[in-house]
Amino acid sequence: MPFPDVRLASRPLHFLYICDCSGSMQADGRMQSLNQAIRQSLPGMAEAARQNPEARVLVRAVRFADRAGWHIATPTPVEQVRWNDLQAGGVTAMGEALELVAAELRSPPMEARALPPVLVLISDGQPTDDFDAGLRSLMREPWARRAVRLAIAIGHDADTEVLQQFIGEDPGLPAGEVPGASGQMPRHPLGRSPRRPLPASNATTLARYLQWASTAVVGAASTTASRLGGADDNRGPVPLPDLPPTELDPLEDPDPIKW
Amino acid sequence: MASLLPTDTVLTFEGLAAPLQVGHCLGGGSQGQVYAVELEGEPLALKWYLPSFLARDAGLQTRLEESIRRGAPNDDFLWPLALLRPDDASRARLGVAGRGFGYLMPLRPPAYVGAAEHAAGRIAISLRTVLRAAFFLAAGFHDLHSFGFCYKDVSLGNLFLDPGSGGIRIGDNDNVDVIGSDGGAVLGTWGFMAPEVALGQARPDVASDLFSLAALQFQLLTRHDPFRGALELAIPCLDLPGRRRLYAEDPVFVFDPRDTRNRPDPHEHVAALITWPLYPRRLQRLFEETFGPGLHDPSRRALTGQWKQALAVVLDHLRLCPHCGEENLEHDPDPGGARCWRCRRPLPPAPLLKLANGGVTVAEGNQIHAHHLDPLRAEDLRRPVAEVVAHPSRPGLFGLRHLGGAPWQVERADGRRFEVLPGETCSLGRAALLHTGAGPLRIGDHLLRP
Repeated sequence: MPFPDVRLASRPLHFLYICDCSGSMQADGRMQSLNQAIRQSLPGMAEAARQNPEARVLVRAVRFADRAGWHIATPTPVEQVRWNDLQAGGVTAMGEALELVAAELRSPPMEARALPPVLVLISDGQPTDDFDAGLRSLMREPWARRAVRLAIAIGHDADTEVLQQFIGEDPGLPAGEVPGASGQMPRHPLGRSPRRPLPASNATTLARYLQWASTAVVGAASTTASRLGGADDNRGPVPLPDLPPTELDPLEDPDPIKW
Repeated sequence: MASLLPTDTVLTFEGLAAPLQVGHCLGGGSQGQVYAVELEGEPLALKWYLPSFLARDAGLQTRLEESIRRGAPNDDFLWPLALLRPDDASRARLGVAGRGFGYLMPLRPPAYVGAAEHAAGRIAISLRTVLRAAFFLAAGFHDLHSFGFCYKDVSLGNLFLDPGSGGIRIGDNDNVDVIGSDGGAVLGTWGFMAPEVALGQARPDVASDLFSLAALQFQLLTRHDPFRGALELAIPCLDLPGRRRLYAEDPVFVFDPRDTRNRPDPHEHVAALITWPLYPRRLQRLFEETFGPGLHDPSRRALTGQWKQALAVVLDHLRLCPHCGEENLEHDPDPGGARCWRCRRPLPPAPLLKLANGGVTVAEGNQIHAHHLDPLRAEDLRRPVAEVVAHPSRPGLFGLRHLGGAPWQVERADGRRFEVLPGETCSLGRAALLHTGAGPLRIGDHLLRP
């Protein structure tokens, strides 16, 4: 006879992509790269969700160009997500996109109980609307303040300042401090921290960051990740996992002499 | 995920006589990636570390070398077999990844699935199988601690089980450390970490392993988290501060006999309410002790030997409801008589086969082990001596099937003597003395068939 037909109680984990679809995303095949990177990251996210029975991972996506709108409006179980290509064209209504997200993070429609949401903002440019108003609306929502907010800066024209405002202050490194100057082992190599905009200068790096967000970060937000001791461990809504190696620093030097 | 090592290729390593055939990447995480490999035709697994992780875990190489030197505590561990560093030829191909290292370990057999599959209710598994897996888990940690090691990161993610047999495999043994050495980067996983570790007051060690083991046992046996009750529902966003409150600052066991603040919610925590009453008090008490006084006093946590003993005894008395076929466990004497937990109809009293060490309820599938016949032996479920089977055509008649080893010499009360060969079954319908290789076994008169 089978074990009683019961399962571990779970909470929803809302994962929201907030995607820049402005005209500049047409350059260098960025839009295609982003579509591919998200599509490729979904099986990994589904697997991470499977290994985390206490999390029900639900995916949504917002696109923004001249206006912001929902690309995937219904919170969709990750294994059911079919990614339709985003199209680029227009300006950068990032503020409006944040307003849309803010409305969804209000309770209701947010459930009474959930895991910290994960918001991933991907942009290659500067907002052309009232970003500050959008961010203010967003940060008025307790669920947004408790969310894991990540930002990926595509190319060299991305406004890393507004992306940093979206993430919030990087509490680990006051302005001007040289990483490692405190004598502590830095959690992340020179200049790279998940609490900063992640620079994706090419398709491979973009794909790696999205893969990381959809697997390691989903794992951390739903606890299966082992907790490592370190300066970053007790900050933020969840301890953020190490960043993946990228093209620029393919695999960080395992034995640095100094930093 | 981008692969650290080239796949579907042959690589050579220092000190490894034969080249290693590297197959596909089986998975990866924040520490590194695991590959299916083959060494001289033998399928194995290779874990290769991310250099960023190596930089954070300075003691890793020493720990792995010590684990490899001492060998696996038992076969249930996917234990490191050899530390691998690329030789010059491979290093040139591997780039920066070639400056790091990895280790070889046994490959997880295909029948074994992640314990999360069980917790999520995605596999068909019996109560007996779950109890067996729980026993093997306790036995694994018993052997590990006896070897002088602690594990440090017990969680659902590091355990695999065979839904057919209840066999287990324990993975991610690279945090395993010599007891008391206080190294290593890992602190544990939320939901399994002992409060003193979560609060930063202690480093993971044997005492925290015992806490984590109990949390994992609870999840295996109930498909529920021991601290998620009413107090969890009061936390809208289960973020880091929320987890710290629930698991470290003010942890309250959902079935704490004295503190009832954190009882399971009848809608949100159904699993706990259905499964907990299935278990006899001897098991429930171990959880109550570990998650009660043991929260703050590590010396009060149930020991691996106590888990082994309690789980083995619970398995000795499993029986099926004659009305609905459901698996039922022993229950403390109840003036109204025992009832099936599913159909609520009365369970008729089952005969008990008294043995030198304890006894086994005469019910199909229950097994006799060497520890039943020799009180000096520790509980071990891996080499059963006999199994209770029903006669194929005579209802109510049970026998003991010989599960291997030398023939049993049987002396019946009427003076008849005969042999029972492995695979044959000796009737429990008549009083007799069985000489098994593991010790004598007396079938008493009280077992005469109805």
